[in-house]
Amino acid sequence: MATLPVYARAVPSGSSLAALEDGALAKRVAEARGGPDSAAEAELYRRLAPRVRLYGLRHLRDRQAAADLVQQVLLMTLERLRAGEVREPEQIASFALGACRMTVMEMRRGTKRREELLEKWSPADAGVTQEAPEPVALNPERLAGCLEALPARERTVVAMTFFAEKQADEVGRELGLTGGNVRVIRHRALARLRQCMEAK
Amino acid sequence: MSGHVELETLTAYWLGELPAAEADAVEKHYFACARCAAQLGWLAALSDGVRVAVRAGLGMVVTAPFVEAMKRAGMRLREYRADAGATVQCTLRADEDAVISRVRAPLAGAKRVDMLQRLERDGEAHEIRLEDVPFDPASGEVVFVPPTKVLRNKHRVRVRLVAVEEGGERRLAEYLFDHTPS
Repeated sequence: MATLPVYARAVPSGSSLAALEDGALAKRVAEARGGPDSAAEAELYRRLAPRVRLYGLRHLRDRQAAADLVQQVLLMTLERLRAGEVREPEQIASFALGACRMTVMEMRRGTKRREELLEKWSPADAGVTQEAPEPVALNPERLAGCLEALPARERTVVAMTFFAEKQADEVGRELGLTGGNVRVIRHRALARLRQCMEAK
Repeated sequence: MSGHVELETLTAYWLGELPAAEADAVEKHYFACARCAAQLGWLAALSDGVRVAVRAGLGMVVTAPFVEAMKRAGMRLREYRADAGATVQCTLRADEDAVISRVRAPLAGAKRVDMLQRLERDGEAHEIRLEDVPFDPASGEVVFVPPTKVLRNKHRVRVRLVAVEEGGERRLAEYLFDHTPS
């Protein structure tokens, strides 16, 4: 396994790398000569990690499993790029998505245990120390205030949706509403929450 | 998929409500779109935040299955049941997360129920009205979680349920919760 660089710093937003499209960045990684382009790799990692993490959370519903997915998918993606094994680097987002789907499928089938996958793409062996950037958390006091300001029924729907993780039809059955009604209430509540959270 | 994905669609995706082909298209889009990925990230953060808020004792009217979900999530709950006209001596221990109040009322035939709460503390009174609260006409129950931050202090809450009808309001039941922190 090739050694991957230690991504110690994020690329400053004003740098030339930050202005590149994902595909152009991937091409830079793929076409690097005389050693890996650590800065370009770090920037690509910084951009793709949140998307892979979201995919992991959506499909695995587990923070640790999602963090593992980020490591596995992005280390594999960077290694393949370096090795010239990504046919269309400009389509790097599609490549990463495909890698996510394949890895989650393997996790679900149980054909590869988590430990095996981590061993194969071990960050320690590869010399990578960067963790996936933690997602931005919403201010808990502010969110509590915004939730308290919602009309009672909207607050209930939001709690049932995100705490009890229920889809609209199921929430509707419990509240004596149609799934469509719940989606309307939910949408209205999310718009209010967004506005409240963004208010100065 | 052209343009950006609406928050409504991202929410449906996040909750697993979209048909597979549509979910695939959303994934393909946000993997290549920083703005939609950020929007989805906000939803994920909201999801986490709501869980934290409920665990911290967010006040709300809920359903019986929601109470079961709170228990499954490991929350330590103290439950009270009250019939119409009842006075309930209640408390919340330091090692408990929330109080569940189940109040019974003749709810059959009601289309909309409002809950009026009058909080009395330190000689002052504060009244709020929760409009159109969820209720279960079959069990005749309204289940609510008083905000835990209020339960850390001694107070009394008078709760009144009213049915809102075309011709006006009809009183359904009243309860008094006399709360002493442990």
